[in-house]
Amino acid sequence: MNRKIFVLLVLLSTLVGQAQVKHVEMRVEGMT
Amino acid sequence: MKQHLGRQSGVQQVEVSLLNGKVDITPKNDGQIEPAQLLKATYDSGVSVAEMDITATGMIVKDTSGALSLLVKPNQAFVIVPNETSHMLEAVAGTETQVTIRGQLYQKPPGKKKVQPELPLKLTILGVQKQE
Repeated sequence: MNRKIFVLLVLLSTLVGQAQVKHVEMRVEGMT
Repeated sequence: MKQHLGRQSGVQQVEVSLLNGKVDITPKNDGQIEPAQLLKATYDSGVSVAEMDITATGMIVKDTSGALSLLVKPNQAFVIVPNETSHMLEAVAGTETQVTIRGQLYQKPPGKKKVQPELPLKLTILGVQKQE
Protein backbone atom coordinates (compact mmCIF):
# COMPACT_ATOMS: atom_id res chain seq x y z
CA MET A 1 0.00 0.00 0.00
CA ASN A 2 2.77 2.40 1.01
CA ARG A 3 4.60 1.48 -2.16
CA LYS A 4 1.54 2.43 -4.26
CA ILE A 5 1.28 5.80 -2.55
CA PHE A 6 4.99 6.39 -3.08
CA VAL A 7 4.72 5.56 -6.79
CA LEU A 8 1.67 7.85 -7.10
CA LEU A 9 3.53 10.71 -5.41
CA VAL A 10 6.52 10.25 -7.73
CA LEU A 11 4.21 10.28 -10.77
CA LEU A 12 2.40 13.39 -9.54
CA SER A 13 5.62 15.28 -8.84
CA THR A 14 6.86 14.32 -12.33
CA LEU A 15 3.69 15.69 -13.92
CA VAL A 16 3.74 18.90 -11.91
CA GLY A 17 7.46 19.33 -12.63
CA GLN A 18 6.94 19.21 -16.39
CA ALA A 19 5.25 22.58 -16.62
CA GLN A 20 7.94 25.21 -16.51
CA VAL A 21 10.11 27.59 -18.48
CA LYS A 22 12.82 25.26 -19.74
CA HIS A 23 15.14 27.61 -21.56
CA VAL A 24 15.58 31.32 -22.20
CA GLU A 25 17.66 32.72 -25.03
CA MET A 26 18.42 36.38 -25.67
CA ARG A 27 20.23 38.30 -28.35
CA VAL A 28 21.76 41.44 -26.94
CA GLU A 29 23.44 44.54 -28.34
CA GLY A 30 25.98 46.90 -26.87
CA MET A 31 27.83 44.27 -24.89
CA THR A 32 31.51 44.97 -24.24
CA MET B 1 25.55 41.35 -17.19
CA LYS B 2 26.27 37.64 -16.62
CA GLN B 3 26.57 38.22 -12.86
CA HIS B 4 23.47 40.44 -12.90
CA LEU B 5 21.43 37.70 -14.59
CA GLY B 6 22.92 34.94 -12.46
CA ARG B 7 21.57 36.66 -9.34
CA GLN B 8 17.97 36.57 -10.59
CA SER B 9 15.64 34.07 -8.96
CA GLY B 10 15.25 30.76 -10.74
CA VAL B 11 18.43 31.12 -12.78
CA GLN B 12 20.81 28.16 -12.68
CA GLN B 13 23.30 29.01 -15.39
CA VAL B 14 24.06 31.88 -17.75
CA GLU B 15 26.23 31.50 -20.83
CA VAL B 16 27.22 34.56 -22.84
CA SER B 17 28.74 34.52 -26.30
CA LEU B 18 30.57 37.78 -26.99
CA LEU B 19 30.92 36.89 -30.67
CA ASN B 20 27.25 36.96 -31.61
CA GLY B 21 25.67 38.54 -28.53
CA LYS B 22 23.78 35.38 -27.64
CA VAL B 23 22.83 34.77 -24.02
CA ASP B 24 21.64 31.31 -22.97
CA ILE B 25 19.90 31.02 -19.63
CA THR B 26 19.23 27.65 -18.01
CA PRO B 27 16.50 27.86 -15.37
CA LYS B 28 16.55 25.97 -12.09
CA ASN B 29 13.95 23.26 -11.67
CA ASP B 30 12.17 25.34 -9.01
CA GLY B 31 10.11 27.14 -11.66
CA GLN B 32 10.84 30.55 -10.16
CA ILE B 33 12.31 32.09 -13.30
CA GLU B 34 10.56 35.23 -14.55
CA PRO B 35 11.50 36.32 -18.11
CA ALA B 36 10.29 39.91 -17.56
CA GLN B 37 12.73 40.22 -14.64
CA LEU B 38 15.54 38.90 -16.82
CA LEU B 39 14.78 41.55 -19.44
CA LYS B 40 14.81 44.26 -16.79
CA ALA B 41 18.04 42.96 -15.26
CA THR B 42 19.69 42.99 -18.69
CA TYR B 43 18.58 46.59 -19.33
CA ASP B 44 19.74 47.59 -15.86
CA SER B 45 23.19 46.23 -16.66
CA GLY B 46 23.38 48.69 -19.58
CA VAL B 47 22.85 46.22 -22.40
CA SER B 48 20.09 46.45 -25.00
CA VAL B 49 18.01 43.32 -25.68
CA ALA B 50 17.28 42.74 -29.37
CA GLU B 51 15.28 39.56 -28.92
CA MET B 52 14.15 37.12 -26.26
CA ASP B 53 12.96 33.58 -26.98
CA ILE B 54 11.80 30.95 -24.53
CA THR B 55 11.01 27.27 -24.53
CA ALA B 56 8.30 26.45 -22.01
CA THR B 57 5.93 23.64 -21.14
CA GLY B 58 2.44 24.22 -19.85
CA MET B 59 -1.28 24.02 -20.55
CA ILE B 60 -3.22 26.12 -23.01
CA VAL B 61 -6.06 28.09 -21.47
CA LYS B 62 -8.60 30.42 -23.04
CA ASP B 63 -9.95 33.50 -21.26
CA THR B 64 -13.44 34.93 -21.56
CA SER B 65 -12.42 37.11 -24.53
CA GLY B 66 -11.19 34.02 -26.40
CA ALA B 67 -7.48 34.86 -26.07
CA LEU B 68 -5.15 31.89 -25.57
CA SER B 69 -2.48 31.77 -22.88
CA LEU B 70 0.25 29.31 -22.00
CA LEU B 71 -0.23 28.52 -18.31
CA VAL B 72 3.14 27.46 -16.93
CA LYS B 73 2.39 27.80 -13.21
CA PRO B 74 -0.73 28.91 -11.33
CA ASN B 75 0.90 32.36 -11.05
CA GLN B 76 2.71 32.42 -14.39
CA ALA B 77 1.00 32.62 -17.78
CA PHE B 78 1.94 34.14 -21.13
CA VAL B 79 -0.74 35.58 -23.40
CA ILE B 80 -0.32 34.11 -26.88
CA VAL B 81 -0.22 36.43 -29.90
CA PRO B 82 -2.62 34.94 -32.49
CA ASN B 83 -0.87 33.51 -35.56
CA GLU B 84 -1.16 30.42 -37.77
CA THR B 85 0.57 28.18 -35.25
CA SER B 86 -1.46 29.40 -32.30
CA HIS B 87 -4.70 28.44 -34.07
CA MET B 88 -3.52 24.81 -33.96
CA LEU B 89 -3.57 25.04 -30.16
CA GLU B 90 -7.27 25.93 -30.01
CA ALA B 91 -8.07 22.21 -29.91
CA VAL B 92 -6.17 21.62 -26.66
CA ALA B 93 -7.30 24.83 -24.93
CA GLY B 94 -8.89 24.08 -21.58
CA THR B 95 -7.70 20.47 -21.53
CA GLU B 96 -4.92 19.01 -19.40
CA THR B 97 -2.70 18.47 -22.44
CA GLN B 98 0.84 19.68 -21.79
CA VAL B 99 2.49 21.41 -24.72
CA THR B 100 6.09 22.45 -25.12
CA ILE B 101 6.32 25.67 -27.05
CA ARG B 102 9.18 27.69 -28.46
CA GLY B 103 8.21 31.30 -28.75
CA GLN B 104 9.36 34.86 -28.83
CA LEU B 105 8.59 37.11 -25.86
CA TYR B 106 10.31 40.26 -27.03
CA GLN B 107 11.76 41.78 -30.16
CA LYS B 108 13.21 45.27 -30.27
CA PRO B 109 11.32 47.53 -32.67
CA PRO B 110 13.40 48.26 -35.78
CA GLY B 111 15.36 51.47 -35.95
CA LYS B 112 15.17 52.43 -32.31
CA LYS B 113 18.23 52.51 -30.10
CA LYS B 114 17.04 51.37 -26.69
CA VAL B 115 13.41 50.70 -25.85
CA GLN B 116 11.96 49.45 -22.59
CA PRO B 117 9.81 46.37 -23.33
CA GLU B 118 6.07 46.61 -22.96
CA LEU B 119 4.71 44.54 -20.08
CA PRO B 120 3.18 42.03 -19.77
CA LEU B 121 5.27 40.19 -22.33
CA LYS B 122 3.27 38.39 -25.02
CA LEU B 123 4.29 35.09 -26.54
CA THR B 124 4.56 34.77 -30.32
CA ILE B 125 4.69 31.06 -31.05
CA LEU B 126 7.55 29.97 -33.28
CA GLY B 127 6.88 26.27 -32.98
CA VAL B 128 5.16 23.56 -30.98
CA GLN B 129 7.72 20.96 -30.01
CA LYS B 130 5.63 18.42 -28.13
CA GLN B 131 2.08 17.67 -27.03
CA GLU B 132 1.36 15.16 -24.27
